Amino acid sequence: MEKFEEKDILEIMQADLQRALKKPRKERRWAMAIDLKKCIGCHACTTGCMSENLTPPEIHYRPVNEEEIGEFPNTSLRFLPRPCMQCDSPTCTSVCPVTATYKRDDGIVVIDYNKCIGCRYCIVACPYGARSADVGLYYTGDFHSQSYEVENSGEYGKSYKRKSHWHSPIGNARKCHFCVHRIEKSELTRCTTTCLGHATFFGDINDPGALITKMVSRPNAIRYKEELGTKPTVYYLL
Amino acid sequence: MTFYGVLIPDLKKLADTLKAALKGKGGPALYLSLVGLVAGFYAIAAIFITGHGHTINTSSQVPWGLQITTYIYFVLISTGCTFVNFFGYRFYEKQYRPFASRVIFLGIMTAAAAFFSLATEMGRVDRMYNFLISPNPTSPMFWMAVWYTCYFIAILLEYVNIQTGRHSSRVMWGAFIIAVITHSTLGSLLGAVSSRPYFYSALLPIYFLFIAFLTGCALTTIVAALTIKEQKLDEEYHLEPFVKFLRIGLGLAFLTGFWRLMIGLAGHVEGSEVFRLSAANNIWFGLGVAVALPFLMLMLSRKSGWLAFTGLFIMVTQLKTRNDLVVGGFKLPVFRAYQVPEVAHYTPSIYEFLVLVASVSLVAVLYIVCDKSGLFEVANKEVQ
Repeated sequence: MEKFEEKDILEIMQADLQRALKKPRKERRWAMAIDLKKCIGCHACTTGCMSENLTPPEIHYRPVNEEEIGEFPNTSLRFLPRPCMQCDSPTCTSVCPVTATYKRDDGIVVIDYNKCIGCRYCIVACPYGARSADVGLYYTGDFHSQSYEVENSGEYGKSYKRKSHWHSPIGNARKCHFCVHRIEKSELTRCTTTCLGHATFFGDINDPGALITKMVSRPNAIRYKEELGTKPTVYYLL
Repeated sequence: MTFYGVLIPDLKKLADTLKAALKGKGGPALYLSLVGLVAGFYAIAAIFITGHGHTINTSSQVPWGLQITTYIYFVLISTGCTFVNFFGYRFYEKQYRPFASRVIFLGIMTAAAAFFSLATEMGRVDRMYNFLISPNPTSPMFWMAVWYTCYFIAILLEYVNIQTGRHSSRVMWGAFIIAVITHSTLGSLLGAVSSRPYFYSALLPIYFLFIAFLTGCALTTIVAALTIKEQKLDEEYHLEPFVKFLRIGLGLAFLTGFWRLMIGLAGHVEGSEVFRLSAANNIWFGLGVAVALPFLMLMLSRKSGWLAFTGLFIMVTQLKTRNDLVVGGFKLPVFRAYQVPEVAHYTPSIYEFLVLVASVSLVAVLYIVCDKSGLFEVANKEVQ
């Protein structure tokens, strides 16, 4: 386990988080870094996220994709977790016709489930495929879903029960929101805490002393599809 | 202003038409359309009652499917009707006038049918009021809604003017200009999606206008050909403008379709492989069957029956071409990995097909009933 100044990185990030939360929201800028060399493809972040946000079938806020690098026979496998990139210049917010999706002062792109009309334009526009449509599927596969499937997810700190397709978030677009409901309770994102390889770093990049700031300033830090000008705040460490 | 018998059918004539239909004298087209409408309404009810999860085959990979195709298809036909009305009045007034009422009526009906289909695609159609209370001016979809409202009002005014025999050049120009703005905005809705190279193009708004003209011409040619047969008008004289319009429409569609494909094939940005993936279909079907073949068909004969068939052929092939355009944009996933399919596949569900059937049937039923009730004769009488 990687340690900085003899401390566990989760403890460091927790301290960074608490320090960031003392600042006004607009002075924070949440970011994530994922060390691809440390990712072991265990999918703990995916399952942690699913249990945290109670996501239905076919909706994964944080899938771990497997990528092949190189050309046969010189190939290797790489695991590539894909949360929402929380772009600084997001394409999804500008296309939403009713401002249901917008960027908060702290950089997190959120969806107002009570406003979303389910037009799916944001899903079409997102270059990372980070958005999904909640069409009302249940793991049990029938209309009489089990109680755990309609539980209050607590996303965005609000109460949403998936009771029927006329109840949000069914009918809406959904995406990773950096566990904003946890952050506001001074908890790290679920994917950060469940990462077995400690490959996920999270924090406020406006804080020069934060671990995340050190990570994203490394020369091996890259952003996915940077050429599109979306300015993601999720970095990958190669 | 007289409402019944001028803007909508006279109640007595409408009752007679319905009675005749109940007695089995409605004609096969009306009964077929009614069956389609019933089946379509069943599908729409199923979509609203059981939800998208159990009825629709779109997914996060292919978020827009046949319902959006149907929407775009009908919206473009509506625009085309407005264009035909404008060019008809502007350049061929005498030849075109007997059909003006029908053409603009179809423009209104197809616009309504388009929204019919769109409503079934939206996840939360009950929240459409958010367009008013929480608008986003940076979104092409918001502007599409704004301009669409203006367009609907403009063509309604044009219809009122035609039906009441007070045709106004200003309103006609207004409807034409608003149609251009509205439907190029619709093109920009797809054209502005920078993450999808299949859509991302400044050519798309123009392409949409040209295709609108073509499909509008096709529908109005069918209507004009049938009206000529029914009313025993001089077919060569009255169909001449429609043949010219169709040829121009096909030429413009070929030009934009060809260059869109060529420029796409020359692209080397991530995702532009989709043009190579769909090149064969776009060449043999999109350009060959859907454009070049009808152009050759127009050379064979100018008889009303043949022109009606050619119009129908264009409409059917253009529907597939619209679906290829909409769904083609999602063929290659934006985030590629092992467990993500290399090419996304989508087959519409029976419910999605029935929404298309409902939209077609809605236009057909309303047109046939209004025609049989003598609604379109009112404007012609005023002219005489």
